[in-house]
Amino acid sequence: MQTRPTTRPGTALRLRGPNVGRVAVVATAVLFPARWRRLAGFVSRNRTVVLFTLFMLGADFVVGRFTATWERHSPDDYAARVTGCARARRDLVFVGGSPVTEGIDPGRIAGIDWNGRSLASAYAVGLSGGTTSDFYHAVVRACPAPPRVLVYGITASDLNDSRHEPHGPYSLMTWGDLTRWVRLRPESAEWVTRHFVRARVGQASNLYRYRHGIRMWAATEADRLVPGSCPESVREADDLRDSAEALETGSGYAPARGFAVGRYDAIKAAELSPGPFTYLDKYRTGSHLKYLHLLIDWCDANGVELVLIDMPVTADLEAKYPAAFAEYRTRLAEVERDRGLPVLRPTRTAVGLTDAHFADLIHMNRDGAARFSAWVRAALEGVGRE
Amino acid sequence: MIFATKAFFIFLPTVLVVYHLLRGRTHKYRVLLAASWLFYAWLSPQYLWVIVLCTVIDYLAALKIEATASDRARKRWLTVSIAANLGLLVAFKYTAFAYDNAASLAGLCGAPVAGRTWDILLPVGISFHTFQGISYTVDVYRRQITAVRSFLDYALFVSFFPQLAAGPIVRAVEFLPQMATPPSPTARQVADGLHFFVLGLFKKLFIADQLDLLFVAPVFADPAAFDPATRRWACVAWAAQIYCDFSGYSDMAVGCAKWFGFDLPRNFNFPYLAASITDFWRRWHLSLSTWLRDYLYFPLGGSRGSPARTYFNLMLVFVLCGLWHGATWAWLAYGLYNGVLMSLHRVWDRALAGVAWADAVRATRAWRLLAWAGTSLAVVAGLILIRMPSWEAGVVLARSLFGLDLLAGWSATVPVWVPVLLGLVALGHLFSGLRGKVCGLLDLPSPVRAAVYAAAAVLLVTLSPGVGKTFIYLAF
Repeated sequence: MQTRPTTRPGTALRLRGPNVGRVAVVATAVLFPARWRRLAGFVSRNRTVVLFTLFMLGADFVVGRFTATWERHSPDDYAARVTGCARARRDLVFVGGSPVTEGIDPGRIAGIDWNGRSLASAYAVGLSGGTTSDFYHAVVRACPAPPRVLVYGITASDLNDSRHEPHGPYSLMTWGDLTRWVRLRPESAEWVTRHFVRARVGQASNLYRYRHGIRMWAATEADRLVPGSCPESVREADDLRDSAEALETGSGYAPARGFAVGRYDAIKAAELSPGPFTYLDKYRTGSHLKYLHLLIDWCDANGVELVLIDMPVTADLEAKYPAAFAEYRTRLAEVERDRGLPVLRPTRTAVGLTDAHFADLIHMNRDGAARFSAWVRAALEGVGRE
Repeated sequence: MIFATKAFFIFLPTVLVVYHLLRGRTHKYRVLLAASWLFYAWLSPQYLWVIVLCTVIDYLAALKIEATASDRARKRWLTVSIAANLGLLVAFKYTAFAYDNAASLAGLCGAPVAGRTWDILLPVGISFHTFQGISYTVDVYRRQITAVRSFLDYALFVSFFPQLAAGPIVRAVEFLPQMATPPSPTARQVADGLHFFVLGLFKKLFIADQLDLLFVAPVFADPAAFDPATRRWACVAWAAQIYCDFSGYSDMAVGCAKWFGFDLPRNFNFPYLAASITDFWRRWHLSLSTWLRDYLYFPLGGSRGSPARTYFNLMLVFVLCGLWHGATWAWLAYGLYNGVLMSLHRVWDRALAGVAWADAVRATRAWRLLAWAGTSLAVVAGLILIRMPSWEAGVVLARSLFGLDLLAGWSATVPVWVPVLLGLVALGHLFSGLRGKVCGLLDLPSPVRAAVYAAAAVLLVTLSPGVGKTFIYLAF
């Protein structure tokens, strides 16, 4: 009968004589129980995999020590805007989707008189692609000290229940928010749970979470060493760094390069496609609307005066989705009537907006934002006086 | 669900944990078979029946072949198995191609036929599992192996998910003996599995996908818009991309299998070190080339007949090899091209074999270098055929490869990362291939290996493209 060798070939040779290895084996056997010795044996046999795991954990730890660097090179847009707003006490906060991101420059509005007091500090929390549900979570996170006035630049797509934006569950929500969502909006409970859990899992690893920031940082450093080595990535990194800086130190107005200089009239003149716009497809309302009521409740509870602005869009968009805009405006009128909210409805004519002030179907360009912000300033002062 | 997707990174650990927690052969294999069929259904939900049908037919045919004494009956059952496998393969893969060509031919003959308005979606991995099934029944017929009694065992051999979608094509004689008792992975297998999985993923996501994104796709889409030197670089980059894409998948399959305790055969042996076209096919997609040798070339007579018959056999094998990859004229041309090269090399080899001065010259280092350069050029040129967007574009690309300024004109506006990525491929070949090793890393001390794998994993997570492209060989 064959017996199993107690040591592997070669081990005995290495342990010959009064060496450290033999002493260690004897000491381990005496000092540690069998369970620990088995564990040590397992670790020793699988040292490549164990070391790999340790190296990965180490790398993750190191990456976690430089989060500010990665965030500067690739900010999480929603989180950066919320953090930027929460950094200081704000008198006036704007919230809304990409029409607010691109169309409202709080720097041009700050300092307005509101019931005899100046609203000196203003910030725009414009969340591209967001829905009313996301804006509620953003406001709660962005305003630890409630502002005096909250302006929600609302548009039809915010209330479209066919739309879900995973960035909200990823960046803005807590476990408590998830529970409330599931209760309030059971039809999308599976969707929000999936995205929320996926986000939590993704955020468990710093390497994974900050991978894009690391990539942008690496591109910048590589380009510094070998100029021209990754021009596209460096351009993207520069844009993201500028945006991060604007969100951190500015008023939240950080228009995307393409939108700032885009001209919808030029697109039409060239007979080009303005790009797909699907945010009003399969339009239905009711579920996101619950979060508008939550937002109103939050403002009431915190002594915040809420103003809604029906954001102007191009005539072409309204013509493309007449039913959606009709339903949206009905809902808006109901909220205005039931909750007694001031709702501003700037028409394009009243503001002086033409296709030349839009970058595409819905987003204003820099000129449009300047013109519209001036209008908002005057309109808010009017509301403040009432 | 393919390798290199988030879904797979949930699927694989789940299956591994459940598999290793279970006790008893039947339970383990049932779980593994269910996981494999789930994997298949994820990729081709409407075609799960195809693999199940092939499995049932081959399983029964093999039992019948073994149980039957008469040669005629044995041959009949073998025919049933081969016809079923090839029938399904031809029906799914070649019907549209045949229809298109018949329609064109009819049009040329003055009897126009309506163009095709339908398409047939190819079941994933059909080219691989049908060949696996055929090899099994042929081996039983040849009495090289005995038929498997357990349907579970046979179904798992055919459907084992790491190699299901894109190979390697595993022979029953290699796999079934490993299934006698559920293998428990050794520490060495676990570590080697990590090696193959991480480096396979690295080849795919970091090298192949980056090369495609940065350089190969734009140049191949419109080669005329680039200068000859850039096109030359693109051809070389394409050769590196397809190697890393396919060998990356094979490596990941080998790595996954090791974590279950199974060893799969190697599919690549540093093909770009080949010093002749024959040598190349002994290093490239080994599981297919050896399959074609054992189940097609040898039965046709191999090189035992007249030279004319040998060249005919070679051409037939390579034409079918080309068509196995894809039902297009480009793949057919690729097969023909390689068949011609193989035949020419054989003529050359036979003519010079035993000639003293020729042997002396061929033994020199300079000659080997020249042979390597010539082979590499021929291989890269051949690979143009399977990526070119049109025949005109192919000619433009091939011209730049065979231009007179070939040696001088490599200075081009190539993204700086392309030579770096190509350098990594070359490094792998030189570091391991020249020393005749599977991978030189496997011989290094554990801390060094672990550090290399961790570095590769960090690079994968941070620098690989966000969205992985599908594996090229999944389309075959």
